[in-house]
Amino acid sequence: MSAPETVTVTIDGREVQVPKGTGLVETALAAGIEIPVFCYEPRLGAPIGACRMCLVEVEGMPKLQAGCTLTAAEGMVVKTAQTSKVAADGQNSTLEFILVNHPLDCPVCDKGGECPLQDLTFRWGPPVTRNTFPKRTFEKPIPISPTIALDRERCILCYRCTRFSSDVAEDDQLVARERGAQSIIATFEDQPYRAPFSGNVIELCPVGALTSTQYRFEARPWEIQDVPTVCGLCPVGCNVDATTREGKVKRIVSRNHPEIDEGWLCDKGRFGFTHLRGGDRVVDPVRKVGQRRYETLSWDEALDAAEEMLRAAGANIVTALSGSETVEQAYGLGKLLRRGLDAHVAVMPEDVSPALDAFRLPLSAIRDAELIVILGDDPVVERAPIVDLWIKAARRKGAEVVESAIGEPGGGLARVRDELGERIRNSERTILIWSGAGGHGGATIAGLAAELGLAEKPGSGAFHLPETANGRGVADGWAAAADRDEADPEPIELLIVSGDEAAANPDVRALAEQAERVLAISMFRGPVSGWADLVLPGTSYLERDGTYVNLEGRVQRLRRAVIPPCPDELAWIAKLAERFDVELSPHPPQVFAELSERCYGGIDYPAIGEMTALPKRAEAVDVPPTPKTAKREAGKGLRLVSYRPLFSGAAVERVPELQFQRPGAEIELSAEDAKRIGVQAGSTVRVSSNGTSTELRARVNRMLVKGVARIPAEHARDLGTHVEVTT
Amino acid sequence: MAEHAHAVLAGADERDLTKISEYRAVGGYATLEKARGMSREAVIEEISNASLRGRGGAGFPMGRKLSLVQPPEAAGKPTYVVANADESEPGSFKDREIMSRVPHRFLEGCLIAAHAIGSKHVFVYIRGEYLAEFDVLKAAADEARDAGVLGDVTLVIHRGAGAYICGEETALLDSLEGKRGQPRPRPPFPPVAGLYDAPTLINNVQTLANVPLIIDLGAAEYSKIGPEASPGTVVYSLSGNVQRPGNYELPLGTTLRELIYDVGGGIPNGRQLKAIIPGGSSVPVFTPDQIDTPADFDSIQKAGSFLGSAAIIVVDDRACMVQLALRAEKFYMHESCGKCTPCREGTRWMVNLLEKIESGEAGHADLNLLRNVCDRVEGRSLCALGDFAVWPVRSYIDKYRDEFEAHLDGAGCPYGGESSVDGVMAPVDLHRHLPLTEVPA
Repeated sequence: MSAPETVTVTIDGREVQVPKGTGLVETALAAGIEIPVFCYEPRLGAPIGACRMCLVEVEGMPKLQAGCTLTAAEGMVVKTAQTSKVAADGQNSTLEFILVNHPLDCPVCDKGGECPLQDLTFRWGPPVTRNTFPKRTFEKPIPISPTIALDRERCILCYRCTRFSSDVAEDDQLVARERGAQSIIATFEDQPYRAPFSGNVIELCPVGALTSTQYRFEARPWEIQDVPTVCGLCPVGCNVDATTREGKVKRIVSRNHPEIDEGWLCDKGRFGFTHLRGGDRVVDPVRKVGQRRYETLSWDEALDAAEEMLRAAGANIVTALSGSETVEQAYGLGKLLRRGLDAHVAVMPEDVSPALDAFRLPLSAIRDAELIVILGDDPVVERAPIVDLWIKAARRKGAEVVESAIGEPGGGLARVRDELGERIRNSERTILIWSGAGGHGGATIAGLAAELGLAEKPGSGAFHLPETANGRGVADGWAAAADRDEADPEPIELLIVSGDEAAANPDVRALAEQAERVLAISMFRGPVSGWADLVLPGTSYLERDGTYVNLEGRVQRLRRAVIPPCPDELAWIAKLAERFDVELSPHPPQVFAELSERCYGGIDYPAIGEMTALPKRAEAVDVPPTPKTAKREAGKGLRLVSYRPLFSGAAVERVPELQFQRPGAEIELSAEDAKRIGVQAGSTVRVSSNGTSTELRARVNRMLVKGVARIPAEHARDLGTHVEVTT
Repeated sequence: MAEHAHAVLAGADERDLTKISEYRAVGGYATLEKARGMSREAVIEEISNASLRGRGGAGFPMGRKLSLVQPPEAAGKPTYVVANADESEPGSFKDREIMSRVPHRFLEGCLIAAHAIGSKHVFVYIRGEYLAEFDVLKAAADEARDAGVLGDVTLVIHRGAGAYICGEETALLDSLEGKRGQPRPRPPFPPVAGLYDAPTLINNVQTLANVPLIIDLGAAEYSKIGPEASPGTVVYSLSGNVQRPGNYELPLGTTLRELIYDVGGGIPNGRQLKAIIPGGSSVPVFTPDQIDTPADFDSIQKAGSFLGSAAIIVVDDRACMVQLALRAEKFYMHESCGKCTPCREGTRWMVNLLEKIESGEAGHADLNLLRNVCDRVEGRSLCALGDFAVWPVRSYIDKYRDEFEAHLDGAGCPYGGESSVDGVMAPVDLHRHLPLTEVPA
């Protein structure tokens, strides 16, 4: 690519050189001058020039111009409000007009103290109001959804929220209604704004019109502290700030990592944090003393009990991991069990494959792709929501997006190879994505990427969308603890269940049936109550220090935002390790230093910092042969495909505001099957299998292969591999 | 006496030109054949040489606009012709006359324009309230289609939903695309990136209806009509306090005196002339001493206003200028799209202030504030509507300040309750939407 042409622009007498076509707002910033804005937000697409806050004087143009819609051109001479009286008057008038109908209720507004309107009014606005007429008022607050409240009279109609809805998330739910001074932001027929990314409009709002129902009246900006950390609810690892006040997390806001999330968060990551205060939180160790009765133990008693269980079991221990542990925690647990007890067997949360490292790219590279191929049966947004936004951005830029049909044999791999292989080989920017079960932790997609020559192309790459936030890091940590592999112990004397995700896994529950005893680490009573013999309290990603590895293979740093109601896992694992003469630090930086050489090329813990760089692509392409897909069980009726919805799991279940986001009790059918069975879309059908049956609402999805039905996992619980659908 | 010069409306008094057979009898669609036999460049050159200026309000030379539109081969995508038939300016009703009396001439103009830019798509965006005109135009379009006149061009007639702003060309394009009708920032201008981001020629009905005439007569002959700088005829919409309001097609440059007294038959009931609004409700007002100004683009602009859509509104001495300002401003407040701040908030504030002045509760500070708000809205809005909302009020204040001041400090309206602005622009209530579809019983 040739270097872009550079132009010289003079702003307020300062000359600055920028690439031709740079927006004037950015050009001014390069000269150290701020052009104030409200509606301008480059992440929302082309500027709209609506708010008129950015008015500047441009030589040769008779009227004031909206700076946001201009781009740098050679010889352009611009005067901002700093040096032009006319521009200053223009900005002052914009603020005066905005304030004609703004309630100025800053003292009771959540935005007060961190409000662009407040800041700009102090700097550029009129000191007094000349308006003596009654202001526009509305009913308030209006619940746009259970998570978002709208105070319409505060709205300055910058259209950031509606543009996000239509041009970024593409959910088209938030719209402007009416006209002129009567214009309002609303949803269609006042239905709740139900979409996976809705919460972003709160952060986009430059005034206090859209506020979080969770954060409303909870804190003022001068009494909060933001802790930079990483979201731990999916494998993307969005960079966030946890806003805390008096030892409690009050909200989660984005901490824009341009390569990972571009400043967007999904609603699970944004609103899911109140699970920390879930009603059934385990805060003390408990021991089972009856059928469903537990007694509370002191930590000394608990460690004694755990030690006794470990010693009794010896090497006959199986450890079930969740994928939500930090790397350090997985390593610590591994070191204790593997070095201290020679107990090497673990049930990993999911397959992971290092083969993908040879095709590594930042997520942001998806936007620049010309061809995106998505394989697997799960909707991308349900597994790794932000990836869906990158794909949408790519599509808007002109990329072609090819999705395999749901239920296609082998995830559609063979078809892609046959039909698109030649094109992909000739393309410079192809992205392959595996979204769903059966990808062998990315080995399958890595195999395809290797075969099609993607390793040599810096713009092409492959991603696997894992199910857990840190499955990769947990596998790394566990593996780094020792070098041996062992066959499954027989009998299983002790099953250690590490975390709520493992506790909810049916395979782990089946193991528990075989095990003599069960030691569970859990944040909540619900998932472990009744079957664990000893329960040690778990902590959340917001309560620990440590590292996570996201789906790009990027090591990111979790920071403790609040002190958990109990010691964190690493603290007591280290204490327990002492009793088995295993040396283990309770401090994550020291643990990381110990494992970094083996797992992460020896990088320094402090170097991970607040924003982590992506490691380079692995040089050697060592792609294992694609493992054989397990033979499908035959069965009567439609083959059932189920996926874990984004809005599900232990955290979401404990957030009242998110319940409306959970998937409906629906079954998706192919058009052919729906027609054959005689099902109308939207009607209720009976779905039976294994002698159980349930009623679900039918939906027709044209992406489904004939003979396959799809149901969200939580509605498919007791159903087998095949279902019969009757009207 | 002003000479009637029928060009756009030629033949419509003698024949029913809504019928294709009648239109063909006066030579209709022969010019289209002629144009299609010419190269695109030749057609554009002819129109450029004729110095045809846009009749929609801005007076932009059509030839220049045509030459700015990239042909589809160069653009790598389809290009479009869009006819702006969303005539919404209070006082303006010329396009409805053209569409209901010479629809084929208008369509022929669209098709010639399509040929000139190599476009295969013509969209007509017609004002939603123009139900009868829509029916006539649709029947004409069907006839033309059946007669094979369209050739390989697709013609779509799209009805607006009752928004003044959709007469603004970029808002019209958004509305046509199915979006909320709000103006776009410019540049890019429609000839570069218009409908569906493709090069688009967008012109007013009357401008397009002039095109067959230019191709038929040739630029040289056409230029002989009217003044040298802006040749051709224009359909003046004469309204307000005149004996004979209506549409009159005359050469550009007819003076306001001729229009009001000769063509319009003067002011009724022996009243005196108080004000002339020369280009639709949005333009600055003229006082009676400006009555000898020729009504063409340049002369009116030199005199401090705009010819706009050539809607001449006559105001007699019964009118209260505050009431008139209020009537105009209420319209612009009602029609402000809500996208940009100054227009959205300024129009509402101005209405509040005008109501206060009219009621007699205002003082000098309020009048000065109103005047200042005008200055702070002008030139700072996203589209021209902000300016349109300012010009009438500000010019009324500046030219009839005594009358505004007479209202202040408890005095109230000197005209009392008399409905002194009857027939001068419709009150805003009459601009409320008519039913867009008629549901059969």
